[in-house]
Amino acid sequence: MSLERLHQSATPSTPAVDFDPASGVLSLTGESYPENAFDYFRPLLTWVARFVDEGNTPIVAEIALSYLNTSSIKSVMDLLDLLESAHRRGRQATVRWSYADDNERALEMIEEFKEEVTLPFFIVPVSG
Amino acid sequence: MNLFALKEQLREAGILISFTGSFSHSIIEELGTAVKKYLENAEIQKTAMMDVFSVYIEAAQNVRNYSERRCQAGRTDNDASIVVIARRDTHYRIYAGNVVEEDDKADLGARLDRLAALDKAGLKTAYKEQLRRERAPDEGAGLGLIEMARRASAPLEYGFTPLPDGRAYFSLCIEI
Repeated sequence: MSLERLHQSATPSTPAVDFDPASGVLSLTGESYPENAFDYFRPLLTWVARFVDEGNTPIVAEIALSYLNTSSIKSVMDLLDLLESAHRRGRQATVRWSYADDNERALEMIEEFKEEVTLPFFIVPVSG
Repeated sequence: MNLFALKEQLREAGILISFTGSFSHSIIEELGTAVKKYLENAEIQKTAMMDVFSVYIEAAQNVRNYSERRCQAGRTDNDASIVVIARRDTHYRIYAGNVVEEDDKADLGARLDRLAALDKAGLKTAYKEQLRRERAPDEGAGLGLIEMARRASAPLEYGFTPLPDGRAYFSLCIEI
Protein backbone atom coordinates (compact mmCIF):
# COMPACT_ATOMS: atom_id res chain seq x y z
CA MET A 1 0.00 0.00 0.00
CA SER A 2 1.43 3.35 -0.94
CA LEU A 3 1.64 6.26 1.43
CA GLU A 4 -1.12 8.84 1.54
CA ARG A 5 -0.51 12.54 1.77
CA LEU A 6 -0.26 13.66 5.40
CA HIS A 7 -1.95 16.96 6.05
CA GLN A 8 -2.61 18.73 9.35
CA SER A 9 -3.63 22.32 10.09
CA ALA A 10 -1.60 24.39 12.55
CA THR A 11 -2.69 25.05 16.15
CA PRO A 12 -0.99 27.53 18.53
CA SER A 13 1.27 24.74 19.77
CA THR A 14 1.58 22.48 16.73
CA PRO A 15 2.79 23.26 13.20
CA ALA A 16 1.00 22.94 9.88
CA VAL A 17 2.08 19.67 8.30
CA ASP A 18 1.98 18.75 4.63
CA PHE A 19 3.91 15.66 3.59
CA ASP A 20 3.31 14.93 -0.08
CA PRO A 21 4.59 11.58 -1.33
CA ALA A 22 4.05 12.56 -5.00
CA SER A 23 6.33 15.62 -4.92
CA GLY A 24 8.58 14.46 -2.06
CA VAL A 25 8.07 17.81 -0.32
CA LEU A 26 7.72 17.53 3.45
CA SER A 27 6.53 20.83 4.81
CA LEU A 28 6.39 21.90 8.47
CA THR A 29 5.38 25.47 9.32
CA GLY A 30 4.72 27.24 12.60
CA GLU A 31 5.63 26.57 16.22
CA SER A 32 5.79 23.35 18.17
CA TYR A 33 5.30 22.95 21.92
CA PRO A 34 2.52 20.37 22.25
CA GLU A 35 1.52 18.68 25.47
CA ASN A 36 3.44 15.56 24.51
CA ALA A 37 5.82 16.18 21.64
CA PHE A 38 6.85 12.53 21.38
CA ASP A 39 3.25 11.39 20.90
CA TYR A 40 2.67 14.25 18.51
CA PHE A 41 5.69 13.51 16.30
CA ARG A 42 5.45 9.69 16.36
CA PRO A 43 3.03 9.40 13.38
CA LEU A 44 5.04 11.99 11.45
CA LEU A 45 8.26 10.03 12.01
CA THR A 46 6.55 6.77 11.06
CA TRP A 47 5.35 8.38 7.84
CA VAL A 48 8.84 9.67 6.98
CA ALA A 49 10.47 6.32 7.82
CA ARG A 50 8.11 4.59 5.39
CA PHE A 51 8.58 7.24 2.72
CA VAL A 52 12.34 6.88 2.99
CA ASP A 53 12.02 3.11 2.49
CA GLU A 54 9.66 3.31 -0.48
CA GLY A 55 10.63 4.49 -3.95
CA ASN A 56 13.25 6.96 -4.99
CA THR A 57 11.52 10.34 -5.10
CA PRO A 58 13.97 13.08 -4.04
CA ILE A 59 13.02 14.42 -0.62
CA VAL A 60 12.87 18.13 0.15
CA ALA A 61 12.08 19.13 3.72
CA GLU A 62 10.64 22.64 3.55
CA ILE A 63 10.76 23.72 7.17
CA ALA A 64 9.61 27.03 8.61
CA LEU A 65 9.52 26.23 12.31
CA SER A 66 10.33 29.36 14.31
CA TYR A 67 10.07 27.99 17.83
CA LEU A 68 10.40 24.47 19.22
CA ASN A 69 10.24 23.42 22.84
CA THR A 70 12.97 21.01 23.89
CA SER A 71 11.00 17.81 23.42
CA SER A 72 10.03 18.98 19.93
CA ILE A 73 13.72 19.68 19.28
CA LYS A 74 14.49 16.07 20.18
CA SER A 75 11.77 14.84 17.79
CA VAL A 76 12.87 17.10 14.91
CA MET A 77 16.39 15.73 15.44
CA ASP A 78 14.95 12.23 14.97
CA LEU A 79 13.31 13.41 11.76
CA LEU A 80 16.55 14.91 10.44
CA ASP A 81 18.36 11.67 11.36
CA LEU A 82 15.93 9.72 9.15
CA LEU A 83 16.67 12.07 6.24
CA GLU A 84 20.40 11.92 6.97
CA SER A 85 20.49 8.13 6.84
CA ALA A 86 18.48 8.18 3.58
CA HIS A 87 21.03 10.65 2.18
CA ARG A 88 23.90 8.38 3.23
CA ARG A 89 22.26 5.47 1.43
CA GLY A 90 22.21 7.54 -1.76
CA ARG A 91 18.70 9.00 -1.70
CA GLN A 92 18.48 12.62 -2.68
CA ALA A 93 17.46 14.50 0.46
CA THR A 94 17.61 18.24 1.11
CA VAL A 95 16.58 20.51 3.96
CA ARG A 96 15.50 24.11 3.32
CA TRP A 97 14.76 25.85 6.60
CA SER A 98 13.49 29.40 6.44
CA TYR A 99 13.25 31.93 9.27
CA ALA A 100 12.35 35.59 9.77
CA ASP A 101 15.64 37.45 9.50
CA ASP A 102 15.03 39.40 12.74
CA ASN A 103 14.72 36.15 14.71
CA GLU A 104 18.27 35.48 15.85
CA ARG A 105 17.22 32.68 18.23
CA ALA A 106 15.54 30.76 15.42
CA LEU A 107 18.74 31.07 13.35
CA GLU A 108 20.86 29.72 16.23
CA MET A 109 18.51 26.77 16.65
CA ILE A 110 18.61 25.97 12.90
CA GLU A 111 22.42 26.23 12.83
CA GLU A 112 22.67 23.77 15.72
CA PHE A 113 20.53 21.29 13.79
CA LYS A 114 22.68 21.79 10.71
CA GLU A 115 25.81 20.94 12.74
CA GLU A 116 24.34 17.49 13.41
CA VAL A 117 23.94 16.37 9.79
CA THR A 118 25.85 16.29 6.50
CA LEU A 119 22.99 16.32 3.95
CA PRO A 120 22.46 19.49 1.86
CA PHE A 121 20.97 21.96 4.35
CA PHE A 122 20.03 25.48 3.30
CA ILE A 123 19.17 28.19 5.79
CA VAL A 124 16.94 30.76 4.15
CA PRO A 125 16.38 34.19 5.74
CA VAL A 126 13.05 35.79 4.93
CA SER A 127 12.73 39.52 5.52
CA GLY A 128 10.29 40.09 8.34
CA MET B 1 -9.17 40.66 50.86
CA ASN B 2 -8.17 44.07 49.58
CA LEU B 3 -7.74 43.53 45.87
CA PHE B 4 -6.37 47.01 45.29
CA ALA B 5 -3.55 46.33 47.78
CA LEU B 6 -2.87 42.98 46.09
CA LYS B 7 -2.80 44.59 42.67
CA GLU B 8 -0.38 47.26 43.95
CA GLN B 9 1.86 44.57 45.43
CA LEU B 10 1.96 42.74 42.10
CA ARG B 11 2.76 45.98 40.30
CA GLU B 12 5.55 46.90 42.72
CA ALA B 13 7.07 43.45 42.31
CA GLY B 14 6.98 43.92 38.53
CA ILE B 15 4.80 40.85 38.09
CA LEU B 16 3.35 40.60 34.60
CA ILE B 17 1.80 37.18 34.82
CA SER B 18 1.29 34.85 37.73
CA PHE B 19 -0.55 31.58 37.61
CA THR B 20 -1.03 29.23 40.49
CA GLY B 21 -3.06 26.05 40.40
CA SER B 22 -3.14 22.94 38.35
CA PHE B 23 -1.42 23.40 34.99
CA SER B 24 -3.20 22.00 31.97
CA HIS B 25 -1.78 22.17 28.48
CA SER B 26 -4.51 24.60 27.42
CA ILE B 27 -3.63 26.97 30.29
CA ILE B 28 0.07 26.83 29.34
CA GLU B 29 -0.88 27.57 25.71
CA GLU B 30 -3.26 30.42 26.62
CA LEU B 31 -0.78 32.08 28.96
CA GLY B 32 1.97 31.59 26.40
CA THR B 33 -0.11 33.41 23.78
CA ALA B 34 -0.80 36.21 26.29
CA VAL B 35 2.90 36.50 27.20
CA LYS B 36 3.86 36.73 23.55
CA LYS B 37 1.26 39.43 22.82
CA TYR B 38 2.37 41.40 25.85
CA LEU B 39 6.05 41.21 24.89
CA GLU B 40 5.37 42.11 21.27
CA ASN B 41 3.87 45.39 22.50
CA ALA B 42 6.57 45.99 25.11
CA GLU B 43 9.20 47.10 22.56
CA ILE B 44 11.82 44.65 23.72
CA GLN B 45 14.33 42.93 21.51
CA LYS B 46 13.11 39.92 19.61
CA THR B 47 15.82 37.74 21.20
CA ALA B 48 14.72 38.70 24.73
CA MET B 49 11.12 38.00 23.77
CA MET B 50 12.01 34.57 22.43
CA ASP B 51 14.07 33.83 25.54
CA VAL B 52 11.26 34.77 27.94
CA PHE B 53 8.73 32.74 25.95
CA SER B 54 10.99 29.72 25.66
CA VAL B 55 11.92 29.68 29.35
CA TYR B 56 8.28 30.16 30.33
CA ILE B 57 7.24 27.16 28.19
CA GLU B 58 10.03 24.91 29.52
CA ALA B 59 9.37 25.91 33.14
CA ALA B 60 5.60 25.47 32.90
CA GLN B 61 5.85 22.17 31.02
CA ASN B 62 8.43 20.86 33.51
CA VAL B 63 6.06 21.64 36.38
CA ARG B 64 3.15 20.09 34.52
CA ASN B 65 5.03 16.93 33.50
CA TYR B 66 6.37 16.39 36.99
CA SER B 67 2.89 16.81 38.54
CA GLU B 68 1.50 14.46 35.94
CA ARG B 69 4.00 11.74 36.86
CA ARG B 70 3.29 12.25 40.55
CA CYS B 71 -0.44 12.07 39.85
CA GLN B 72 0.04 8.73 38.13
CA ALA B 73 1.91 7.60 41.24
CA GLY B 74 -1.18 8.46 43.31
CA ARG B 75 -0.29 11.99 44.48
CA THR B 76 -3.00 14.56 43.99
CA ASP B 77 -1.81 17.87 45.46
CA ASN B 78 -0.59 19.26 42.15
CA ASP B 79 -2.52 22.51 42.58
CA ALA B 80 0.45 23.80 44.59
CA SER B 81 2.36 24.84 41.46
CA ILE B 82 3.13 28.41 40.47
CA VAL B 83 4.72 30.15 37.51
CA VAL B 84 5.48 33.88 37.52
CA ILE B 85 6.92 36.22 34.90
CA ALA B 86 8.24 39.49 36.29
CA ARG B 87 10.20 42.43 35.03
CA ARG B 88 12.95 44.05 37.05
CA ASP B 89 14.68 47.04 35.46
CA THR B 90 15.87 45.80 32.09
CA HIS B 91 15.67 42.11 32.97
CA TYR B 92 12.88 39.60 32.90
CA ARG B 93 12.62 36.83 35.45
CA ILE B 94 10.68 33.62 35.22
CA TYR B 95 9.90 31.84 38.47
CA ALA B 96 8.54 28.33 38.82
CA GLY B 97 7.58 26.53 42.02
CA ASN B 98 6.22 23.09 42.79
CA VAL B 99 6.27 20.31 45.36
CA VAL B 100 9.02 17.72 44.88
CA GLU B 101 9.34 14.31 46.46
CA GLU B 102 12.11 13.77 48.97
CA ASP B 103 13.75 11.22 46.65
CA ASP B 104 13.98 13.67 43.75
CA LYS B 105 15.43 16.59 45.70
CA ALA B 106 19.11 15.63 45.78
CA ASP B 107 19.19 14.68 42.11
CA LEU B 108 17.53 17.92 41.01
CA GLY B 109 19.84 20.04 43.17
CA ALA B 110 22.90 18.22 41.82
CA ARG B 111 21.81 18.73 38.20
CA LEU B 112 21.29 22.46 38.78
CA ASP B 113 24.67 22.78 40.50
CA ARG B 114 26.38 21.04 37.58
CA LEU B 115 24.71 23.44 35.13
CA ALA B 116 25.62 26.47 37.26
CA ALA B 117 29.30 25.56 36.95
CA LEU B 118 29.21 25.63 33.11
CA ASP B 119 29.89 28.60 30.85
CA LYS B 120 28.01 29.13 27.55
CA ALA B 121 30.29 26.75 25.62
CA GLY B 122 29.99 24.10 28.33
CA LEU B 123 26.20 24.45 28.26
CA LYS B 124 26.18 23.98 24.50
CA THR B 125 28.23 20.77 24.89
CA ALA B 126 25.86 19.52 27.61
CA TYR B 127 22.91 20.34 25.35
CA LYS B 128 24.36 18.46 22.38
CA GLU B 129 25.23 15.43 24.54
CA GLN B 130 21.71 15.29 25.94
CA LEU B 131 20.22 15.78 22.47
CA ARG B 132 22.06 12.64 21.35
CA ARG B 133 21.29 10.57 24.45
CA GLU B 134 18.78 7.74 24.06
CA ARG B 135 15.51 8.81 25.69
CA ALA B 136 14.16 6.57 28.44
CA PRO B 137 10.52 5.56 27.90
CA ASP B 138 8.02 7.83 29.71
CA GLU B 139 10.63 10.49 30.24
CA GLY B 140 11.11 13.89 28.70
CA ALA B 141 14.00 14.95 26.53
CA GLY B 142 15.99 15.99 29.63
CA LEU B 143 16.84 19.23 27.85
CA GLY B 144 14.56 21.65 29.73
CA LEU B 145 16.93 22.79 32.47
CA ILE B 146 19.87 23.05 30.04
CA GLU B 147 17.74 25.15 27.70
CA MET B 148 16.76 27.47 30.57
CA ALA B 149 20.41 27.82 31.62
CA ARG B 150 21.43 28.64 28.04
CA ARG B 151 18.83 31.40 27.76
CA ALA B 152 19.57 32.87 31.18
CA SER B 153 21.89 35.85 31.71
CA ALA B 154 22.96 34.52 35.15
CA PRO B 155 23.20 31.06 36.74
CA LEU B 156 19.81 29.61 37.64
CA GLU B 157 18.85 30.27 41.27
CA TYR B 158 16.97 27.64 43.19
CA GLY B 159 15.94 26.67 46.69
CA PHE B 160 13.99 24.04 48.60
CA THR B 161 11.56 24.89 51.39
CA PRO B 162 11.02 21.83 53.61
CA LEU B 163 7.40 20.73 54.01
CA PRO B 164 6.10 19.05 57.19
CA ASP B 165 5.64 15.67 55.46
CA GLY B 166 9.28 15.41 54.41
CA ARG B 167 8.81 16.65 50.87
CA ALA B 168 9.99 20.08 49.74
CA TYR B 169 8.75 23.07 47.82
CA PHE B 170 11.12 23.70 44.93
CA SER B 171 11.61 27.27 43.72
CA LEU B 172 13.48 28.12 40.55
CA CYS B 173 14.35 31.58 39.21
CA ILE B 174 15.67 32.19 35.70
CA GLU B 175 16.84 35.68 34.84
CA ILE B 176 16.88 36.71 31.17
